[in-house]
This record gives sequence, structure tokens and C-alpha cells, in this order.
Amino acid sequence: MKLLDVHNLKVHYGGVNAVKGIDFHLNAGEIVALVGANGAGKSSTLRAICKLAPHSGKLFFDGKDLAAVKSHDLVRLGIALVPEGRGIFSDSSVEENLLMGAYIHNDAKIKTDLEKIYTLFPRLKERNQQAAGTLSGGEQQMLALGRALMSRPKLLLLDEPSMGLAPLIVKAIFDVLKQIAADGMTIFLVEQNAGLALELSMRGYVMESGNIVLTDSAPALLQNPQIRAAYLGQ
Amino acid sequence: MDIFLQQLINGLVSGSIYAIVALGYTLVYGILRLINFAHGEIVMLGAMIALSVIGLLTDSGLPGLLIVSLGLLCAIPCCMLIGYLIERIAYRPLRHAPSLTPLITAIGVSIVLQNLAMMIWGKEFISFPPLIDVQYFSISEATINSVQIFIVIVSTLMMTGLNYLVNKTKLGNAMRATAQNAEVAGLMGVNANTIISLTFVIGSALAAVAGMMVTMNYNVAHYDMGFMLGLKAFTAAVLGGIGNLRGAMFGGILLGIIESMGAGYLGTLTNGMFGSNYQDVFAFFTLIGVLIFKPSGLLGKAGGERP
Ligand SMILES: Nc1ncnc2c1ncn2[C@@H]1O[C@H](COP(=O)(O)OP(=O)(O)OP(=O)(O)O)[C@@H](O)[C@H]1O
Ligand SMILES: [Mg+2]
Repeated sequence: MKLLDVHNLKVHYGGVNAVKGIDFHLNAGEIVALVGANGAGKSSTLRAICKLAPHSGKLFFDGKDLAAVKSHDLVRLGIALVPEGRGIFSDSSVEENLLMGAYIHNDAKIKTDLEKIYTLFPRLKERNQQAAGTLSGGEQQMLALGRALMSRPKLLLLDEPSMGLAPLIVKAIFDVLKQIAADGMTIFLVEQNAGLALELSMRGYVMESGNIVLTDSAPALLQNPQIRAAYLGQ
Repeated sequence: MDIFLQQLINGLVSGSIYAIVALGYTLVYGILRLINFAHGEIVMLGAMIALSVIGLLTDSGLPGLLIVSLGLLCAIPCCMLIGYLIERIAYRPLRHAPSLTPLITAIGVSIVLQNLAMMIWGKEFISFPPLIDVQYFSISEATINSVQIFIVIVSTLMMTGLNYLVNKTKLGNAMRATAQNAEVAGLMGVNANTIISLTFVIGSALAAVAGMMVTMNYNVAHYDMGFMLGLKAFTAAVLGGIGNLRGAMFGGILLGIIESMGAGYLGTLTNGMFGSNYQDVFAFFTLIGVLIFKPSGLLGKAGGERP
């Protein structure tokens, strides 16, 4: 079943056409990668799904047309975004950030969810009363991911979770993504680091200057000579 | 006679009022990066509405304290509604305009409200009827009266309450999140418009109480009383670090004390050349001083505004 279905999505900032009419979909339970170079339009695509960029086209989530849905209601449908640059609330404490993730919930499960996040990222637990802005980049990425999970999403949108992080931290974060995926979460993973993203994913889309130019299963993309040359440096 | 203690008490009382008004500036600035110059006018409207209700009830035979309370209880929701409408009508359509536009609009709203008040309540001073039996207490050489004690206690309660709301509740967490990054807070399900409206409503409720306190403290109200009070409270907010709640409270009380000490000692210091009527000058010297030496305010972060 298609959880997210996108038809002819265009994003235009004034005169700039950042996304030029793309079609793609995510099946429930899938991990799908969207890879592409700087400026290809990956973030714009995610921001359009989240109603944060001016766009046209059709978006369906869980069979529901998203045309009339406001950005602040998406999380109630089950869509969570870990934005590019993490978007943590730096003056609030780590725990307050996580609790913001659970803003739409009002039940006792918030507490168990919080413990779950602390088990996934023990570093966040050690620093739970610290201002989030004092965390290292890697810890902030963990926090942004943890915060998104606190909303109990059906679809997790990730915008370059590996950006600017040391390989060890990236591995820690991707290990957690693997665990979450094993629990059945649908993940849309936007990455410049194509190798990393495709290794985790089942399928992938390749984006170039606003268009999807290629789509295939992840193993096939990893073997594709064009991809290997352009994105994997081989 | 040493006037130090007396000036300290007076400063504390007026400072408590500045602090409550300064909170209104700082709350709105924290979320919208807007200096709501009309906030002083809400204080004035609070005083005027309360006085009108009190005027109507003066001969009703009800106990004085009850009449005053009823005046305040009417002023609070009226001011909340006015604050809500100002944001809705004047500021919201300009949410994405360059920041000078809403600033000029704020000044415009302030002028409109002032003139409206002049048309409704006239140009005369309106006095606070002697409904309350004011008690005086002496502390060594100084005196403090029951109204002043009331002002300090109510302000402290309101500041504590607001501090709790903003720092310890789910709503407060959402308010702070919205102030830091409205887009991301939206992704967590927070409707920024609701939070912004709420901020105006809370600030206006505080302003209504402040208006009542000013009238009780000086026994009069006037259609342009919001102007100077607003400027001073804004100064207090800048002094503490605008956008910072504790800064506004601290800045308000500090400004009250600076002003009152200045007024008390200016005559002696200048050999009688300047009298206490130069009191207002201190507030603005303080503002200029802060803007030159620590523009981010005493409790503000270095570097001032966050990106
Ligand atoms: N707010 C904006 N206003 C104008 N142009 C924009 C805006 N945001 C993005 N763009 C332009 O849209 C194009 C696509 O940008 P986008 O951020 O979607 O790329 P990306 O694939 O996420 O790149 P990166 O890997 O560097 O994050 C770029 O040319 C960019 O300059
Ligand atoms: Mg991007």
C-alpha cells in the first residue's frame, strides 16, 4: 500500500524552479532514499511535503489528499520531519525539546517514549537538563531524530542526517535508523551521501536539478556505473 | 532625614509596575521580534475601563474594595480582547513584511488608541475615587501604604505565575519553541497563530492590572498616561535584555529604583539646580547607556538578537 504518493510536484521560489514536476511514492514499511548533489532540490521536495515551500502538484498520505492540510496538522496525520540543519530549540533543555516532539500527545505513554529515546541515545539522557544549543553536532542530530520519534510518526522524513558529522556518529545514527526501520517505520531518507543512504534503503530515487532522473532498487543503484561514477566516487 | 529607604520603597513600587508592563513588551518581542508600541495604550485602557466601571458603581453602596475589584475584573477581559484584536487586525497581515512596517503600524495603533480614549474619556484627568481606606505603615524613617504593599505583592504573584507558565508548563514549552523556531514548532503540531494570539492576550491581561495599579498609586488616569509609561517599560525591557522574561522583571524593578534614587538625590547632588521633576530623564539616560554599553541588556545574551 502506498503511504505517500506524490504526483507532478513542483516547487518554485519566485523565478527559481527548484523542483520541476516529479512523481514518486513510498510504500508502507519501506525505506526509500532520495539522493542528489547540492541544489538538486531534495530539501525543497521535503519542505513541499511538509507545506513549508511554495508548491503545486498532488500529495496523498495514507490515501488522504494533503491539499488542504496545514503544516502544523501534518504531525497529527503521522508525518514527522527531521529538518536540514536539525532545527533544535537551542535555548530549551534537551528534555524540553523531546517533549515538544510529543506536543500532540497527552497520555502516559509519553514517559515510556522518552525512556525509549534515552535508551536509543544514552548521551541525551546524560544531558537531559542541558540547553540543547550546548550539545555537539552529533548529539543535536540525535536529539532532532529523537524529537521526531516522540510524535509516534508513521512516516519519518530525514533531511541529510549525516551532514557534517564524524563517521562514528553517523554510524550510531544509522544504526538507530536500522532499528526503527526494523520496527516497521516508513522512512524517506534524503542524503548527499548516496552510498550510506542506499545501503540502508530498499529503493532509491536520484535527483538532478529538479528532476528525478533515475529510480531503482537500492542494490541496483549501488551497482549502476553512472551512480558509482557520479555519487560514489568510483 | 535620610531619604534612602523611602526612595527605595517608592522605586520598588513603581518598578514593580514597570516590570509588569515590560513583560508585555518582552513576551511579544520574544515571539514576533516586534516592539508593540501600542502596549502602553493597553495599560491606559485598562485604567480607563476600570475607572469607568468604578465610577458607575461608586454610589451603589457596595463595599469599596469590591467595587475596585469589579472594575479590575471588567478591565482584564476587555484589554485581553483589545490586545487580541490589535494583533489580528493590525499585525497579522504584516507578519511577513519588512520589520519597519509593523513597527510603524504599532506607532499608528498607539496613536489611534490614544485618540479614541481622548474621544471617549475626554482630555481631563480622571481621579480615582476614595473608595479604599488606605493604611500607612512606617519602617524606621520611611512610610509605605497598603496600596503600595498591594502593588508589590500582586506584581510578584503575577511575575511568579508567568514565570511558571512559561518555564514549567507544556504551553510555555510550546511558546518558547515557537519563539526560537516557529517553523519547526509547527512541525511538532504547534499552531503559531494560536501561540501569538495567546501572547498578546496574556500581555494585555498583565497590562490591565498594571493600569489599575498605576491609577491606584497616583490616584489619577489620563488618556496619554500610556505613552510615558510604555516608553519606560520598554526601557526596562531593553535594560534587562528584550525577549528575556527574567530580564524584564529585573529591568523593571531596577529602572524604578534608579529613577526614584535619581529623583531623590538629584537636587542635593546638583545643589538645587535640577529638582525631582527631572525624574524622567533618568529612565532615558539609562536606556541610552544600555544601548551604548550593553545593547543586549543586562541579562540578555551577548550578540543580542538570535538569528
Ligand atoms: N527559500 C528559497 N528561495 C529561493 N531559492 C531557493 C530557496 N530554497 C532553495 N532554493 C533554491 O532551490 C534549489 C534547490 O535547493 P534545495 O535546498 O532543495 O537543494 P538540496 O538538494 O537540498 O541541496 P543540498 O544538498 O545542498 O541541501 C537551489 O538552487 C536553491 O538555491
Ligand atoms: Mg538540502
